[in-house]
Formats: sequence, structure tokens, C-alpha cells
Amino acid sequence: MKPAPFSYHRATSVDDAVAALTQGAGMARILAGGQSLVPMLNLRLAPLDTVIDISRVDSLRQAHDDADSVRYGALVTHAAFEDRRVPDGSNGLMPFVAGQIAYRAVRNRGTIGGSLALADPAADWLTTLVALEGKLLIAGPEGRRAVAAADFVIGSYLTDLAENEMIEAVVVPRRSATERWGHYKVARKTGEYAESMAIALVDKARNYARLVVGATDGAPLVLEQAAQAFLDGRTDDALRVVIRDELLAAGREFSAARLTMHTTVAMRGLKGAAAK
Amino acid sequence: MKVTISLTVNGAQIRRDVEPRTSLADFLREELRLTATHLGCEHGVCGACTVMVDGAPARACIALAVSLDGAEIRTVEGFAEDAAMGVIKEAFHQEHGLQCGFCTPGMLISARDLIARHPEADDVGIRRAMSGNLCRCTGYQGIVRSIKSAARQLSSQGKQP
Amino acid sequence: MSAASAPIDGDNRQGIGSSPRRNEDRRFLDGKGEYVADIRVPGMSEAVFLRSPIAHGRIRSVEVPPEHQGKVFFAADIAFAKPIVAASAAPNFQRSDYPPLAVDKVRFVGDIVAICIAPTRAEAEDIAQACVIDFEELPPIWDIDVALAPDAPLIHDHWTNNLYVETRIETGDIEAARKSAPVTVRKSLRMGRHAGVSLECRGVVAHYDRRLDELVIYSSTQFPHVIRSILAECLGVSEGKLRVIAPDVGGGFGIKNNFNPEELAIAALSLKLGQPLRWIEDRREHLIASPHAREHRYELTAYADQSGRVLALDAVVVVDAGAYSVWPWTASMEAGMSAGIMTGPYDIPIYRGVARTVCTNKSPMGPYRGVGRSGACFAIETLIDEVARSVGRDPIDVRIENMVRPESMPYRSATHKLYDSGDYPECARRTAEAIDVAAIRKRQTEVSPDGRLIGLGMASYTEQTAHGTAEWVARGLPVVFGYEPALARFTPDGKLVLFVGIQNHGQGLETTLAQVANQELAIPVADVIVRHGDSSVSPYGMGTFASRSMTMAGGAVSAACAQLAEKIRRIGAHLLQAPRDEVHLADGRVHFGTQSVAFKDVCQAAFLHPERLPEGEDPALEVNAVYQPGRSTGAFSYATHACVVAVDPGTGHTEILDYVVCHDCGTMVNPMIVEAQVVGGVAQGLGTALYEEIPYDENGQPLASTFLDYMIPGATEVPDVRVLHMETPSPHTRFGIKGMGEGGAIAPPAAVLNAVNDALRSLNAAVTETPVTPERILDAIASSAGQRVSA
Ligand SMILES: Cc1cc2nc3c(=O)[nH]c(=O)nc-3n(C[C@H](O)[C@H](O)[C@H](O)COP(=O)(O)OP(=O)(O)OC[C@H]3O[C@@H](n4cnc5c(N)ncnc54)[C@H](O)[C@@H]3O)c2cc1C
Ligand code: FES
Ligand code: FES
Repeated sequence: MKPAPFSYHRATSVDDAVAALTQGAGMARILAGGQSLVPMLNLRLAPLDTVIDISRVDSLRQAHDDADSVRYGALVTHAAFEDRRVPDGSNGLMPFVAGQIAYRAVRNRGTIGGSLALADPAADWLTTLVALEGKLLIAGPEGRRAVAAADFVIGSYLTDLAENEMIEAVVVPRRSATERWGHYKVARKTGEYAESMAIALVDKARNYARLVVGATDGAPLVLEQAAQAFLDGRTDDALRVVIRDELLAAGREFSAARLTMHTTVAMRGLKGAAAK
Repeated sequence: MKVTISLTVNGAQIRRDVEPRTSLADFLREELRLTATHLGCEHGVCGACTVMVDGAPARACIALAVSLDGAEIRTVEGFAEDAAMGVIKEAFHQEHGLQCGFCTPGMLISARDLIARHPEADDVGIRRAMSGNLCRCTGYQGIVRSIKSAARQLSSQGKQP
Repeated sequence: MSAASAPIDGDNRQGIGSSPRRNEDRRFLDGKGEYVADIRVPGMSEAVFLRSPIAHGRIRSVEVPPEHQGKVFFAADIAFAKPIVAASAAPNFQRSDYPPLAVDKVRFVGDIVAICIAPTRAEAEDIAQACVIDFEELPPIWDIDVALAPDAPLIHDHWTNNLYVETRIETGDIEAARKSAPVTVRKSLRMGRHAGVSLECRGVVAHYDRRLDELVIYSSTQFPHVIRSILAECLGVSEGKLRVIAPDVGGGFGIKNNFNPEELAIAALSLKLGQPLRWIEDRREHLIASPHAREHRYELTAYADQSGRVLALDAVVVVDAGAYSVWPWTASMEAGMSAGIMTGPYDIPIYRGVARTVCTNKSPMGPYRGVGRSGACFAIETLIDEVARSVGRDPIDVRIENMVRPESMPYRSATHKLYDSGDYPECARRTAEAIDVAAIRKRQTEVSPDGRLIGLGMASYTEQTAHGTAEWVARGLPVVFGYEPALARFTPDGKLVLFVGIQNHGQGLETTLAQVANQELAIPVADVIVRHGDSSVSPYGMGTFASRSMTMAGGAVSAACAQLAEKIRRIGAHLLQAPRDEVHLADGRVHFGTQSVAFKDVCQAAFLHPERLPEGEDPALEVNAVYQPGRSTGAFSYATHACVVAVDPGTGHTEILDYVVCHDCGTMVNPMIVEAQVVGGVAQGLGTALYEEIPYDENGQPLASTFLDYMIPGATEVPDVRVLHMETPSPHTRFGIKGMGEGGAIAPPAAVLNAVNDALRSLNAAVTETPVTPERILDAIASSAGQRVSA
């Protein structure tokens, strides 16, 4: 289980990395924490001829606290979130989520940028960023652009990233202080990818609710009708039906078991937020 | 094409040419003949290869050596003189925290890190924190006991890893 | 030799029944364990197997790129190596030739086509990746039903169908029982296929020792001596020209207890090329191509009376044994052992068991901790629950009432096993008490705040261990594992070295055998060195498997040490100028009143100063002994497991809230180690019960090939297991020891399934298959809801 040969480029800056990507013409890939890429290389599942190591681009490790958002460099690690070594504008949701990803040794190296770029539908950051209405700052040969997390993911392992673009940072809007979050993840084992996960954000003061379900074999699903039904104070049974119908309407061909699981998880996400 | 890297391994300054595809684990095991770091899966799941990279545990099987130019690596061999590790090892001995020994080096590295960060962890906390280190022999009970006992001893001696 | 009381002058503080810490720990804790992947030989190349990506096909050709010519080797290159043939003596057994490298046909995904060699593993993988195999694809036999279909293509061309063998056991008149029994209960069950997953994968290093003119094989194996015998046979060389070494072995569990084509292929190619080779299995190879475990199907019928007393049992066991019969166990071991112990701890007089072993295009089935007994326990224990439900009683009571009574021991089962000793009902009672059945039943009547359903499950088993000649002869295997040797040799400075034929891969045998020596010789455990795992070092022995090592090698060490003790007393008495029968051994010394001499002085006399020996005493202190149990029908360990689960009907997740084991393995040599073996076994059994599975798709592709899709339990998935001990010494073995290495893994699938179904009872749902995944639980709930709607 050893990788096929490849050449190695240690990027000195974002622009340098982008230039190397362009030169690689689709056969070059960014190495961030390596916690997903290197396993794929070891299993010979990631065809590439050049690895562009961005780990020395220090600017990508920084986080900035702005008035209405926090900006995280792509290389901020899961452990940095978990340990609150970076600012948080999510009322503690991001540190909590980070602590649920994999295992400490993986969190020490795995990065938020890498996780989002991979777009594993079962990954934690993806659902979280969609829930938090985060944005990704993307660097390419033509300059920089921003894209909403919800638009960034197109499907399982599919993103809006062109082959010569990279994620430079993630911007998360500061959430209102009165907002409460609920999080529910089911995984077969501790540290495993989710089988289903839901994040609910509820701000009773603003009559606001948002519900996102992840690990749904594609982009995370934003359940707007369910959120509304919740705000409308529908009974649990009625709410469950709304969630179920909305999940079904997404056209993901869930098995009966999956549908039950996602419905439960979504309910519990909402309940968790409501209970706080 | 090989790339020259220099890094510190167990306190020694090392300079070597490596193929970019060489993992840190293979670099340690094959190049430096430090074979305490074991390979149980080579895709980041089992934790047998856990070593310290710049003071934090990492999976050596999914870290590329070439990317660790300038890093400081510490393996179980490098903890031979470490007082805290001595206490942890003795606890593993007393509490029967190992059977075949294959997972043990990775367990020790993770255990030391856990005790350093959460000396007061309870059973549930220990189990959660150690969930990334698989053991096929012990059923974990002895390992949890060992870590609890080591943490207690270290804190009563006022020692922190 | 039969059970004997402990020697009078044994120093018991480190002897049998005490828990000294392990002698072997230090090297592992210091990172100095040496596993096969740590071994390097000068000039060594790395070998990688080019494995079949398809399940079933004929090899038309393999294209090797010009730059890799000369680095890829095929069956023709090692044509002198004979195929591995593991034929059972059972009538009509259809034998498979398992060649080290595929000759013309591949029979499972992972079957070996060629060996690629290069200076590094990565480069060898490059070569394998560059080779292109042209196959004539054949229909994949990916399932038992596909294999047994009347017009199914044959996996082995010369067979008449895809059935290795079918055997049966019939005791009593099952037809009469069928007609007369007031209660009939039927059950269909399945146990998923999984892998063994020692944390260390397998591996082989081979090189030629020019000085000794012998081929040296390092293999991560549980039985190096036996490997030498079969290797010699397959290579056509003398055993005198072969040395097999099992270095530190990172877990075995049965998967390293086979003679594998990899061992043969690497040895043969190394011999042929005169080139040191190393093959280290990676995790993907391990999951798809190392011998697999389980995959049983059961069709069961119990005939009972109104109280739930089982009068007769009719069982059909069908096992998917994969593409080849593994050596030495043969393909039929799994089904045969399951059918052969099916009545378990129960006194069921009438029995019909059919064991069918099916050949498919999957990795061969091999032994895995618990072997067929895990399936047998799963079958009978879920059936007993069902019987109890159908007569409206608590399964615990029905279980206990059906058990063999202690006063019936020794008891001959309907499957012709001779249970030697024990109190099965008491064991079940103690378990029930410890898990607090009443409290759980009460809790079940209350509504849980989180909506989870509570269930209690129990499972009992009896396990034949340390069986010797008679049993192995009855099984018709190519080797009869009847005995175990020990060579006990003092050093001139008073240390004892035990050379044994077993192999220690986590069981603590470097300590427990030292405890046996301590028992006989009163020598400190730290002064005893146990050497094993090297065919050129130890006397020929069978290895470590079948819960046999402690009993067998322990018996041999005891016999050898008892003779040494006699001699030491004689010499010591002479040195002390004391009468022979007034000296005793303690603390590594010979004592006479207040005087004593150290073993070291005795050894100095024995080895370096024969002039100090009593007249007529031979120099040296060394004894070789061979041990066989008094009866070779086995010492039966037994246990009852109980677990409490919480099942989440919304997500299908199962959490184990409590787990209790009460077991009896006869005399315990080291209770600390015994307990840890039980707990480790339970963890593995929970893997079978809840997590581990390698399903195959219709193309015969294994659907789990990494730890991302194959899950073994981690620290949060295994509960704190509470272990209670009973000790009924076996009448057949030295010290009354019974084997216990496997037991922990036997009952969890049954206990968990019973507990989950107990939890699901309020929903009228039931799961009948392991692993009990969230998906299966949710499906069971959905289908029972569907039935309710349509009803
Ligand atoms: C055992 C194990 C368990 C895990 N469990 C979980 C889990 O429960 N939940 C979870 O969410 N994740 C899990 N992960 C994945 C982990 O979170 C990874 O760290 C993460 O998915 C990838 O981050 P990375 O920095 O390591 O990226 P890398 O592995 O370096 O890269 C991943 C991919 O992203 C690309 N990439 C990386 N950075 C950028 C960038 N800035 N711009 C563009 N492309 C980029 C790479 O080219 C590559 O294709 C697990 C991993 C392991 C090994
Ligand atoms: S070998 Fe590195 S995590 Fe398993
Ligand atoms: S002791 Fe064997 S894997 Fe942990």
C-alpha cells in the first residue's frame, strides 16, 4: 500500500501554488494536511503526477477576526478549532464539530480547507459550513473569488473548484448571540465519518431557524420547509412528516432505513437547538 | 526525483534524500531503522504508527517525509529517557495494557499526549481519546486502566508529561 | 498424566493461580519487539503479489512491460512447488489444489497471479500495477445459492458440483420427535463473512543461509514447526534444510494458523532465485485475501415440550468456505465444528445435524477465534430464546432448565463429545445474578427518556479445548495435534530456559509457562526464559491454537521441571550434606533447615564442577518432556455471557450498556491474563456481532477492503466487561487446566442478537443476521411495521 511515484513542489505562496496547479494541467494536487490525500495515494486511488505542498504558506494558517465574520486560512487545523486557538463566531459550534472529526492525531494535521475541497458528503465541515452560511475564498490564475459554501459543493466529491484553483480561506459570518445550535451525528464508531448528521440553528428572538442534513450522498440538504414548520410550532409528529417529505423530495433515493435515520437525526438536531 | 530533507528525529539531526512518495513511517522504519513505529493499516485509521510531530501526535503512515522538512519527530524509541513515559510504560506493565504488543507504541504516544492535555480524564474521556488507536487483543480494558493509573501517579507526583 | 495436587515445596506466590506481571512486556513497551516487517536481510528484495482483480476467470496471458521483464514471476517459474492440498478424510470430500501461484485459473478476487520483486515495496507495487492480465471471465459464484444452483459453473473443473462435502450426525429418532413434540420452533439465521484482522498483517521473509545450507523462513505464524513440515513437503526439500522462525507475532486469532500460498510462493521463489525476499501483507490484502471467518447459514428446528424443554434438535449448517480448502484445517472444519458442538451446554438427547461446506469465488475460509463454535452458539442460543418465547417463559429459566446438570458429568453429548466437568446451570445463574435480571426487566417496563429500547440477552456455550489425538484423528485432518513438548534447561548461572513448541503472540506464555516452572521448581518467574517460535531452537511442537497451549505446553513444562526439581533436590541435598527428603525448594534455592544453596550453585556443580555432584549423578540439568492430556477428548471450558443493550429505533444504533461473563476454564494459571483473554475475546466477538463484515457483490467483488469500510471495535465500542470466574479443574489435564484463549469470542454474537431482539420485541421486530448493523435494525423495524399495516 504505497503511492505511485510523483513529483513534489513546495509552494511558497498562494500564487505559487496556483501557478503550479496551472502548470500541472489537472495532474497536480494540493497537499494540505494530507489526512485524506495521502491515504488515497497509498491506496493508489488518486491519479496525479505532482503534489503541491501548501503547508509552508504561513498566511494560510492565520485566522482573522472581523466585525461581522471570522476568516480562517485554509490550513487551520481541526485541532486548532477544537482547542480554540482560533477565534470563534459560531457560539461554539465550530470547536464542537472539530472535536468530533476523526481522532486527535488526525485532527492535528487535517485542515478545514482540505476537508471542504475533498467534499466528502459525510464530512463534518461541509455540513457545518453550509449550516453557518459560510463562504469560501478561492484563488485562481485570474485572481480571487468568493463562493457560498452551499454553492461550492455540487455533489459527492464534486465541487465548484476549477482544476487550477484552490481554497485560500473560509469566511464564517458571526452568528447572532441569541442563536442556539443543535448538532446530531450518527456514526458507526467514534471518529468515523457520519452516517447522518444534522445541524440546526435556531434564534427564537429573530424567529429564525435553519436546518441542514449531511451525509446524504451529495451536497448537504438545507431543509427550509422543516425549519419553517419548526418555527410554526408544529407537533413532533407533523414535523417528522415534513422532514421526511422534504428529504424525499430531494430525490436522493434513500433506502427506507436511511430515510428513517436522516429524519431522526434532523429532528434531534432541531430538538437540540430548541433545548438550549 | 529525490528531495533532500533535514529533520530532527529523537533529538538527532538527520539529513537524507527521500523519494516524495515515502511516508514518514517508512522513512523511520526503513531508512532510519526505527521499527517501533508499526504499520497496521497505512491509511490513517488504526493508530499503530502514531508518533509525535512537532509536539503533537500524528499518523506517520499518512504524513509524507518530504513535507516534514525541518520538523521534529519523536518516536517511542525517543522516549526511552522520558520520566512521564516511564511511568506510563510501568502502568501498562502493571495493569496488563498490552498483549501482542503491536499496537503498544502508538498507544503509548497517544496516552502520553492525552495525559498531558487532560490529566483528569475519566474512563469515558480516556476511551474517547484513545478511540483512534485500535487494539485487536486487549479489548481496551487494560489499556484504559493503565492510562488512568499513570495519570493518577503522574498527577500525585506533580509531574506533567 | 492426570490431575495432580501441587508439589509440596512449590513457592506459590508466583506459581499457578497468581498473577505476576508479564516477562515479555518490557521489549514491547520499549519498542523493541521484533515483528516480521522489522526483519531485514542483506540484499533483500521486496515482493508484491499481483492479485486477481476478478472473482473467476481463466488467465489468457499477462503482459509484463519490457522494463519490468525479469522481475515478475509466475507459476511456471516455481513449478517445482506442489499445490497445497488440504483434504479431509471425510468420505466424498472434493479436494481443491491450492497452487502457490494461479496456474490457469483464478478463483477469487485476491488470488495470486504472479510475484513482482523490486528493491522497495513501492517499486514492486509499480511493477504489479503495470502488468496487464488478460482474462477469459467466468461467471462469478458469489453466493451460496449461486454455487448450489443445479447448472452452476464449476469452480474446480474436476468436481461434480460446488460442494466440498456434506457430513451429518444423527443421534436418536428425530422423526419420532417431530411427530410427537408439542412445540416446534423454527429459525433461519445468518452470520456475516468477515476477516480476522490481527493488527499486524501477515508477512514472510525468506533467505538462504549458506553456512548452514538451509532456507530460513521468517513468517508471522502461530505454528512454525508445522509450517516447516508442510513447506518441506511442498518444496520437495528435507526438513533438515529448512528453518522456520516466527518472530514476535502481532496477533494471530487463527488467521496465522494456516499454511498459506504466500508462504510457499515466497519460499519457493527465494530458493529458486537464491535471493532474499520479503513480503509484508498490507491491510487491503489482509481483508480481501487472508483466510476469512464465519459466513454461516442456519436452518434450525427445535422440538420441545410445553415447558420449553428441548427434546430434539434438527440443524442444517451451511458455510461458504470460499475457493480453496485451507491447510491443515480443511474447508469443512467450520461447518463440521459447528454441527459437532451444536447442542452446546444443553442436554438435548435427539439431534440431527447436517454440515454443508460450499465452494465459492471468495477468499478461503479459515479458523478464527472460536471457529465453528461461535456459529453453533449463535444458532442454539437464539433458538433457545425463541423456544422460551413460544412457551411464554423467560429465556433465562428455560436456558438453565435445559442445561446438562453437574451430576451428569462426564456427559456424552448427542454430538458424541465427552464433556469432562463443570456446573453449567450455576454459571448461568451467577451471570444472571450479576447482570441483575430483575432490575433490567423492571427497567424495560418503564419508558426511557431518550426513546431507546432496552434489551437483555444471554448466551452460554461449552468449548472443547486442548483436545488431543483422539479428537484430531476423528476430524480426519492431515496432521494430528496430539501433544506438546518442552525442553527445560538450566544455564550454569542458575537461570532456566524453557524451549517450547508453542508460539506466543499475546497470550502471555512467556510468563505463564514460567509460572508452571515456578510451581515445580520454586524458581522466580523473572529467572525463567521461554524460547519459542523457532524450528531450530525448540523441540518440534504444534503451535498455539485451539485453546491448547497452556494445557499442553504447561503440562510438558511441568513434567520436565518436575524431573529437574528432583535432580536439584538431590544435588542440593548433597551440597548441603543433608538427607534428600529433608530439603525443599523455595525462592530459587534448596533449603535445609536454616541453610540453603542457590540454584546457581547447584547449576555450577551440574555443569562446571561435576566433581561436586553426588556419586552416580549425571552432569547437566536438562530435561525434555512430552505431554499429552490423560484423555484426548478435550477439557471443556464453558461460560455464560449476558449483555444489556440500548437500541435506538430512530437510528438503528446499538449501545452495549453492560456486559457480564461468568466462565470456568478449570484451574487458572494467571487470573490477570485469563481475564484479559476473556475481555479481548469479547471485543472480537462484539466485532462479529455488530461491526465486521465483508459482503460480496454479484461480481464477486469484496465490498470492504480498507478500515474505512471494514470496522473493528475501538475503545468506545467495547464496554467494561465484568468477568466472574469459576474453577472446576479438568480431570484430564495437569493441574486441571482447561484452555480458554478463544472462549471470549464465542458468545457475543448470540448474546448481542438476543439482547437486540429482546429490545425490539415491543416493536414485534427481530434481526436474524450478524453483524447487527443500524441498517438491519431499521429494516427489521420497517418490515414489522409493514406487516402490521398489511395485517
Ligand atoms: C481515520 C480518519 C478518519 C476521518 N474521519 C473524519 C470524520 O469523521 N469527519 C470528517 O469530516 N473528516 C474525517 N476525516 C478526514 C479529515 O478530516 C481530513 O483531514 C480532511 O478531510 C482533509 O483535510 P487535509 O487537510 O488533510 O487535506 P488533504 O488530505 O491534504 O487534501 C484533501 C483533498 O483536498 C485538496 N485540498 C486540500 N487543501 C486544499 C486547498 N486549500 N484548496 C484546494 N484543494 C485542497 C487535496 O488536493 C485533496 O484532494 C478522517 C480522516 C482519517 C484519516
Ligand atoms: S498504520 Fe497509520 S494509522 Fe494505521
Ligand atoms: S496488544 Fe495486540 S493489538 Fe493491541
